[in-house]
Amino acid sequence: MAGKATSASGEFLAGCRGEAPLLLGVIPFGMIYGIAALAAGVPAWVAQLASAMVFAGAAQLVIVQMLAAGAGALPIALTSGLLNLRHVLYSASMAEYVRHLPRRWRLLLAYLLTDEAYAVAVLRYQRHAADTAQRDDGADLRHWYFFGAGFTLWAGWQLSTAAGLLFGATIPAEWELDFAVPLTFIALLTLLLRERAGRAAALVAGLGALAFAGLPYKLGLVAAILLGLLAGVWTVRRLERVKQESAA
Amino acid sequence: MSTPILLALLVVVGILTFLYRYAMIGFFAKHALPGWLHALCRHIAPASFAALTASALFVHGGDVQFAFDTPRPWAALAAVIVAWRTRNVLATIAAGMATLYLLKFLLP
Repeated sequence: MAGKATSASGEFLAGCRGEAPLLLGVIPFGMIYGIAALAAGVPAWVAQLASAMVFAGAAQLVIVQMLAAGAGALPIALTSGLLNLRHVLYSASMAEYVRHLPRRWRLLLAYLLTDEAYAVAVLRYQRHAADTAQRDDGADLRHWYFFGAGFTLWAGWQLSTAAGLLFGATIPAEWELDFAVPLTFIALLTLLLRERAGRAAALVAGLGALAFAGLPYKLGLVAAILLGLLAGVWTVRRLERVKQESAA
Repeated sequence: MSTPILLALLVVVGILTFLYRYAMIGFFAKHALPGWLHALCRHIAPASFAALTASALFVHGGDVQFAFDTPRPWAALAAVIVAWRTRNVLATIAAGMATLYLLKFLLP
């Protein structure tokens, strides 16, 4: 019995260690989120609760940015709801590895399925054969690794949010630390522009945001993003057609 | 936005996000993801970040203003250049904030 417990906790701790280097990138985000939430007028306890309920960094920054710009609840829900849709991809990618687990495990792992936990856990599943994580009775324990990685990121996100809220309450507005949010979007956007279709989606969405700026409640942002998606899909189709024609 | 409405909004986004995360390992664990959804997902992040960046820089209270006599557009430009050259998120944020402070100091 002692051996079994050791291997489950061993997998959990290995997951914590695997996730740890990613915290370096996550902690500044959590702090920027906390600072920007206060600057947007969000009460500290609501901002902290959001980190537990939504638990998605990019979407939380989007919510705060839109609140600061005076957006309505519906456009904020639509924009962050669209942005988080990518988690369906992670869910689909994880399905083959966690499908066999009891529902309580799948509910827990679904809650912890963020970009960063996915990146670490999927490597563990893909690279290491199941037998390296097996107990004497042959059970697969890699979900404990996933749990360790997800829990580490969760704790890092909650603590860095709290640090941002504490720090943010003491710094004057003249420091303009809320500007770190659009700067974060610029950094993430640049990483995503390697493909031609992504560039088309970004260009159309960016111009659309200016063209529809006058729409009430920031609904123009939703329209701009939807047009950007259409532009991306259309560009992919066109590139595929060109490829087919040149092949034929 | 009042705090009760904000809380309701966060609950809705939180539930929605959880449903996304649970969808393919819970409800549809034995199904494959539809191709159109997969194709759409890759464009969501670039489109969202571009729209939000453009709006944050150039939309002020429903009006488009290219305020090139203020520090923020130029600080954003410095961030774009650093992002392009380094592909490093923290370096990008640092460059943008440093340029903002420098211009605020230099401009009257």
